[in-house]
Amino acid sequence: MSNPQPRRDFQTEEAPAPSPKQLRQRESFAATESHQPLTPQADIKALPEASLSTPRKRRWGLMFALVGGATLGSVELATGIPDAFSQSQWMTMAWQLFGISLIGLGGLSLLKELGRLRRLKRHDRLRHDLAELPQRSTKQAQSMAEQLKRQLKLSDDDPHWQAFQRACQPHHSGEEIQTLLRYHLLAPRDREAQRLITRMSGETAIMVAISPLTLVDMALVAWRSLAMVDRLCRLYGLELGYASRLRLFRNVLHNMAFAGASELATDASMDMLSLDLAGRLSARAGQGLATGLLSARLGLRAQRLCRPVAFTDQEQPKLADLRQDLWRQIKRLDKEPTPATRPQK
Amino acid sequence: MRQPLSRELSNLLERGRDRQLRLAVTGLSQAGKTAFLTSLVNQLRHAGVEAQLDLLPVAREGRLLGAQRLNQPDLGVPRFPYDPGMAALRATPPRWPEPTRGISELRLQLRYRPAQQGWFTPDIAHLTLDLFDYPGEWLLDLPLLQHDFYSWCQAQSLHEGPHRKVLFSEWLTEAEQLDPAAEADEAKLAALADAYAQGLRRAKQAGFSDLQPGRFLLPGELDGAPVLQFFPLPELNAPKETLEALPDTSIYATLAARFRYYQQQVVRPFYRDHFRRFDRQIVLVDVLGALNAGPERFEDLSHALRQLMQSFDYGKRSLLTRLFAPKIDRLAIAATKADHVTPDQHGNVVQLLEALLAEPLKDLRFADIPVKALSLAAIRATEAREVLHEGKRTPALKGTTLEGEDVLVYPGDVPNRLPKADFWQQQGFDFPSFRPMPIDSAALSHIRMDAAIDWLIGDKLI
Repeated sequence: MSNPQPRRDFQTEEAPAPSPKQLRQRESFAATESHQPLTPQADIKALPEASLSTPRKRRWGLMFALVGGATLGSVELATGIPDAFSQSQWMTMAWQLFGISLIGLGGLSLLKELGRLRRLKRHDRLRHDLAELPQRSTKQAQSMAEQLKRQLKLSDDDPHWQAFQRACQPHHSGEEIQTLLRYHLLAPRDREAQRLITRMSGETAIMVAISPLTLVDMALVAWRSLAMVDRLCRLYGLELGYASRLRLFRNVLHNMAFAGASELATDASMDMLSLDLAGRLSARAGQGLATGLLSARLGLRAQRLCRPVAFTDQEQPKLADLRQDLWRQIKRLDKEPTPATRPQK
Repeated sequence: MRQPLSRELSNLLERGRDRQLRLAVTGLSQAGKTAFLTSLVNQLRHAGVEAQLDLLPVAREGRLLGAQRLNQPDLGVPRFPYDPGMAALRATPPRWPEPTRGISELRLQLRYRPAQQGWFTPDIAHLTLDLFDYPGEWLLDLPLLQHDFYSWCQAQSLHEGPHRKVLFSEWLTEAEQLDPAAEADEAKLAALADAYAQGLRRAKQAGFSDLQPGRFLLPGELDGAPVLQFFPLPELNAPKETLEALPDTSIYATLAARFRYYQQQVVRPFYRDHFRRFDRQIVLVDVLGALNAGPERFEDLSHALRQLMQSFDYGKRSLLTRLFAPKIDRLAIAATKADHVTPDQHGNVVQLLEALLAEPLKDLRFADIPVKALSLAAIRATEAREVLHEGKRTPALKGTTLEGEDVLVYPGDVPNRLPKADFWQQQGFDFPSFRPMPIDSAALSHIRMDAAIDWLIGDKLI
């Protein structure tokens, strides 16, 4: 047990609390001094956007390894050539040349990929600009329409573009031009996209329903979904490279997993019902329908992501529209009697 | 106004199915009501063929089959002079349709294909649109219904600007000497009423809008009747009770009796027969004309419109209100003659219009009525061009003035809110007036008529 502590006395005066900041004194300015309206400070405004967006990942390590390896490798190989030449070692020289060209080809394809990634980014920027059309002046809106036309690869005498030009008047505001763009340039593509999604997801559903091997099913579904996203993108004037395809696909999946969850909940009851019905028909039909629905949902998401102007609430395509088509296809598959058992009329 | 039972029933049925709309085209005189109606009928009749209606989805998608004039419900009212109006526009040189001098009606039947085929939707649906034209001067009588003679006199003396006082000076010097309690002298009252009417006419010439009573300007069949021989008494200082107690032969009582008669026998039937049953409304305002006229007249217009919009019933529609007490559930406010400024000024015109109607818009917002403000030209009189002037590209208008002179002009900027009074003294506005362009196709060219039609009836054409 420790000894009781002896009495200690402390000073009664408190140490002055450190003042956090010098208070500024009153200052008066002459009325003649130049002044301007108070603007919120730039860094305060920039804060939320910077902190809300996803952190930007730069793979410096990978870049370092790739660039370092490529340069050092090609330097090494190139410096070896004179030696090999002087010693007349033709085989070594051939290998060195082969190595250099390999590195060159790799670099080229890498650059191409980067270019396509940039195109995806440009598409995003165009999307952003087009969304702001209502605030733009008529002239800006017109030039943006031209840009969209180039993106969609429409020629000058394309009937849709001509119809748009006919409809467009100098007094139309940005918002009105956006409406016209939607109707004249995008609606035909939307219809095509819709048809594509219905067809592709229907075929996927049928394939899964009749294929005997689960593993093959999975590979088929993945392959076909990728192809569908690819085609959708091409419809909206977006050419995908390997990396940009991966990025878009990741975006689509991300979107489906998070943003689409609430939508899923509203659709779920109908989905359940149709799955139940299909399950009654046969287990395989049920599986097929489930896969078809998933694939259709994926297609709709992808469409929504690559359409240059975002959908309004009314024109947004709904899964319900596609479900009926899918259901019809599956049913037809099930109903189609084999020739041997066809009932005689 | 009794109608045969069968017509009454069929109207009721159509209204119940919401296939009949009555559109109120509201505007003071010179605001462009007749031009709007002529153009509306023209566009709908030519929809799907020549008319450029790209902002109207039903026409853009080719589902609108057109419109036909039907026999109007009330056979006692003249038909809207569509053909004379079109003839004036087609004449060489083209003229604007004649200003309206009386009431007229028109019933249009629109036929369209519904967008979605359902169990109960027919292949081709129709919508009946009732239109109604009247002199804008009479419209300002509607606010009279909320007054009695005493409060009317007070209200009239409230908004007298200096400029306006000058126009009425002749009448004012005489009327100020009148003793309300004195014995009424018929001849003197008639002379004074005449002087008052003269003042109103002068004020109208000078560009004022808030002019009551409207029949003084355009008497119609009432010309010379004693009902039009009254006027407000200026400087009424005595309390209302003492004035009311005056004998029947006094000036005050005589004027009040005539005012009451005018209110009950002229204004109320006009309101009851034509203004109660509206479903949709468009308010046309000639903002540019008001800017041309100057600050006092601009305020005057704002005041007139504020008063006017209190005369309409706004509210949500349901089956019951639709059948028995229709209410306006959607409203467009439009700055007309938008073709008289360059397209880049349209945004400012709309903002100025919203500033002009700020007070009524607040009330409408409170009542939760959707309102859309737009700038439109029912019949386009100019062409928008671009001029290379001193090395700079500026927009300009090409058209023919009312005097017949071909001009290429930049009419000036439109402010987006009312400028201060000294601006008018320094610079002022001088927006030119144009006569209509010669018509080369069957449909009239316009600015944003399609957007207006879409907003007013587009939701019934799905």
